[in-house]
Amino acid sequence: MLWQQLANGIAIGSVYALISLGLTMVYGILRILHVAHAGIYALGAYVGLFSFKLVGNFWISLMVGMAGAAIAGYLVERFLYTPLLHLPRIAPLIVSIGLFTALEEAFRIVAGPHTLTYNARIGLGDLSIGSFRLTETQILILFITIIILIFLWAFLTKTRTGLAMRACAQDPETTSSFGVNVSAIIAINFIIGSAMAGAAGVLIGVYDNQVWPTMGSIPAYKALAIVVLGGLGNIPGTVLASIVVGLAETFFIGVLAIPFPRDAVAFVAMILVLMFKPYGLLGKA
Amino acid sequence: MLKVQDIEVSYGEFLALRGINFTVEEGELVTIIGANGAGKSTILRAVMGLVRCRKGNVFFQGGDITFSPSYQRARLGISLVPEGRKIFPDLTVAENLLMGAYTQRDKKALPSYMEEAFTLFPVLKERRNQVGKTLSGGEQQMLAIARSLMSQPRMILMDEVSLGLMPIYVEETFKVIENLHRRGVTILLVEQNARKALGAANRGYVLETGEIVLSDSSQRLALNPQVQKAYLGGT
Repeated sequence: MLWQQLANGIAIGSVYALISLGLTMVYGILRILHVAHAGIYALGAYVGLFSFKLVGNFWISLMVGMAGAAIAGYLVERFLYTPLLHLPRIAPLIVSIGLFTALEEAFRIVAGPHTLTYNARIGLGDLSIGSFRLTETQILILFITIIILIFLWAFLTKTRTGLAMRACAQDPETTSSFGVNVSAIIAINFIIGSAMAGAAGVLIGVYDNQVWPTMGSIPAYKALAIVVLGGLGNIPGTVLASIVVGLAETFFIGVLAIPFPRDAVAFVAMILVLMFKPYGLLGKA
Repeated sequence: MLKVQDIEVSYGEFLALRGINFTVEEGELVTIIGANGAGKSTILRAVMGLVRCRKGNVFFQGGDITFSPSYQRARLGISLVPEGRKIFPDLTVAENLLMGAYTQRDKKALPSYMEEAFTLFPVLKERRNQVGKTLSGGEQQMLAIARSLMSQPRMILMDEVSLGLMPIYVEETFKVIENLHRRGVTILLVEQNARKALGAANRGYVLETGEIVLSDSSQRLALNPQVQKAYLGGT
């Protein structure tokens, strides 16, 4: 029972990590609260689902969903945020909220208001050891998240572009004076963050076997709470916070059977962190 | 090598520089001295492309770079040691140095550039895996200079490198600058420490409230009674 809840919590926490990382990376480099990121997440789920209906292969639908989200993220950065960067940060925030709402409506118009099913299987089957059971989708989620996190870590620490991206988050002006094209780095940052959100959309679509127009609205604010919990812009902190929230949700509801709304857990955690550790779980003053 | 022609820079309504003209020839060490707030840093920022010129032109090696973004100027071989050091606080010393070498396409040469930096400032080698913000002010200044040199610049712009340093580090820093000059690196040095700067430079310009008021060889500037009175603490 305990192990089961642990596995469930880590699986859901890893999806939270995939969504929240893009948000924290965007905040780290542009200091914008990218609310529409959750719209990109839902877009990834829809694009993945439609390509799954066309070709019937989970892996291809995952790739297409990630690519669709990456392109959308790039377009948002280039045509909505970049032109507004000279304004106070409230301007891109308003645009972001507007875009998020518009995306939800667009999904409703294009794909209909009802819930669609995303019944993708890779034929792996579930893993059962006694009463402990990992579903195929949970295995997929864990496997894909770990692969993506390893790639992200290797990119940020082992490549020249990754180094420039970290430098940029600390001091864009000085970074540019060493020959880095900062606007290209910002674009890459959005592409990577959005592709991860797209992967999360596909995985949640398959996990819940549901894709619907407003599927991004709860992740929109939950990811925000997680990012604050992890320390805005802090990548390892965000991964930790995601797992903590995933576990807390599963344990409060599944083990302790506390009648507490699941989606409020992230916010309680955020409030506690802001009270006692305002720079986030791994943050330093 | 560098020719600045009639540039004007303003921050909002405030005119920070007006009608600035100066040149730096290949291999020269030129200094711009002046009081706090005279616009010295702004000149360097304009050459690096970090502020926009409202008027005038900047030429580097004959090409007009007035409208080039700063990353392209870096790729042409201009490197800035910024005011306040601007070390990347959460990158290690080694990573800070690698950022300096960002324009270097030849990856195989990086270890030798790194070794050169460590020979110049041995303390950086001990600290290579520490993050930038844990260094002392003097160490950060050494790192800022070493980081700029990593790009193998044709021209290096130095902004107040002695500011806030203990006297022993000031001596060290100027030794490094003179060594670089001897090795043929072209240097434009902006300093409040006018005595030291004129001691090291070939030529100098005196900047007062956004305008160049004097230009001469550094020996003659150092003997100029006006300069002595205003900047060298003489009577």
